[in-house]
Amino acid sequence: MKLICLGLNHETAPVEVRERFALSDVALDRETESLMTAAEVEEGVVLSTCNRTEYYAVVNGGSGIVELEDWICKQRDYHGSREGVFYHYQAREAAEHLCRVASGMNSMVLGETEIFGQVKKAYKRSLEGGATKAILNKLFQRAFGVGKKVRTHTGIQEGATSVAGASVELAEKVFGCLKGSSVLVIGAGEMSRKTARALQSRGASSVMVTNRSFDKAVDLAEEIGGRAVHFEGWEEELTHLDVVIAATGAPHFVVKPQHVEAVRRKRKFRPLIMVDIAVPRDIDPEVGEIEEVYLYDIDTLQEMADQARKRREEQLLLCEEIIREEIDKVRLPAVND
Amino acid sequence: MGMGIGWVVIATLLATAGGVLGALAARADKPGQTAFIWMILAFGAQLMALGWRGGLRGQCPLGDVGEVCLFLAWSLTFFYLVTGTTYRLSLLGVFTTPLVVLLQVISLIPGSFETGVVRAGTVDAWREAHAALSVLSYGALALAAVAGVMFFILNYRLKAHKFGGGLVHGMPSISRLVQAMARIALVGWSVLTMGIIAGLLMEEGTFSVHLVVASMTWALYAVLLGIYFVRGMPGRQLAIGLTVLFILSLSVFAKL
Repeated sequence: MKLICLGLNHETAPVEVRERFALSDVALDRETESLMTAAEVEEGVVLSTCNRTEYYAVVNGGSGIVELEDWICKQRDYHGSREGVFYHYQAREAAEHLCRVASGMNSMVLGETEIFGQVKKAYKRSLEGGATKAILNKLFQRAFGVGKKVRTHTGIQEGATSVAGASVELAEKVFGCLKGSSVLVIGAGEMSRKTARALQSRGASSVMVTNRSFDKAVDLAEEIGGRAVHFEGWEEELTHLDVVIAATGAPHFVVKPQHVEAVRRKRKFRPLIMVDIAVPRDIDPEVGEIEEVYLYDIDTLQEMADQARKRREEQLLLCEEIIREEIDKVRLPAVND
Repeated sequence: MGMGIGWVVIATLLATAGGVLGALAARADKPGQTAFIWMILAFGAQLMALGWRGGLRGQCPLGDVGEVCLFLAWSLTFFYLVTGTTYRLSLLGVFTTPLVVLLQVISLIPGSFETGVVRAGTVDAWREAHAALSVLSYGALALAAVAGVMFFILNYRLKAHKFGGGLVHGMPSISRLVQAMARIALVGWSVLTMGIIAGLLMEEGTFSVHLVVASMTWALYAVLLGIYFVRGMPGRQLAIGLTVLFILSLSVFAKL
């Protein structure tokens, strides 16, 4: 018996090919069932996320990579070029690849944690469908252990790797917990939405949106469960805010020192984070000179994200070492032979 | 002096170990509770040393420079141990240990501890309470100043966009530091109030330069905390106020 892995991901296949192979939850169950009826397949798990589709199978005798690739393409009715689209691994390499995937080392955002849950879910569905037996059960359990170990023993998931994430990290450095904090978003574009969402995911409860075009502010406010504020009156909201995100297309400064100076006493000089992700900048740099204001522009946030990515990449060797050590402990003929 | 002075040496070594190991852990981005554990041990040794001096004097051991420094170091450690867990300010220990070590090193300088101490015949309970409460309050006020120094460092780095290193990563947030500074100072000021009241009830005369300086210190802290809690104040100004006031307030001991 032999362990094989066949798949495609964001590095090997463009989105129009990936979407062809992507599977919904229901389709995933059917695909696993079909895989089990394929010749010589003893065990199988199918993993499908927005960036990858992978088939893990334990096969008997001659059935192998080529047969599996043909079968998958037939299933998905795919007749396009296969060159460089699929990657495949066997035995130990397949086991190591699974560990890399579960640890987030193979993800588009290095070290992201969502993939761990997605692998777990895929395995659980196969287990419940009776598609896994001794080999894949042991292998996936080991991969989950490795994923946890990699995350605890290395810095693979440390630091924010996006502008929105860096904004959240800085806000937490100033306020600790963001639970119950108030946020004002000036501008209703994509970056505003992402940053507001990131802050909400960490507990920000009150989000206000303001924009020159009020309709756009209403749309974004509705989308993120916030409140739209007229652009003419946003300054009044400063009194009770903790975080201001500015991302308008204005060619001049929207937030000026006098706006903050006017409410300092009312705010009892509480800290205020200002994130300026607009180019040209929306917030006058002099605002950052006010004692309790912490002002960050797009360059600072981008640099933080770049440094975090670099630090994560530096952890890869350590992660590989952990995976090697853990796979060494696996005593399965399908993996070791 | 025998084992008595030995306890001061042990307490100093333990506090130094806590500071160094805590700083190394912070540098490695894993502040944890390293300093806290060593400080618990140092606290025990400080208690033994104070017991030794108290036994010799038959009263609260605050009769010479060595005893005042040792008592202050103990008080600072006590408030750190209480606050360090309450506010999860694990890194506060790394900043506290240098001050604790400095105070204990001063007490170890030959001559700091008087020799041939005469055991007190009678004890004025109010005098004892005044001395003990006052030194205890200075421990809390010193800790508030230490939190102020931490605030300066974090505030500077966040304002100047210098985020690298485990120090910033391991520090509590700006809001938590401001909260800790204000609350610890309020506790210190409340204990100081009780100490001054006890001083006014002492059998010996109630007026002295020492008491005037202590009362002025009390009043300045009252103004600072009053402004902070009623009107509000930027964290940096509160940190400056607490640090400067603590340094000035040490003049109280000069007149002890």
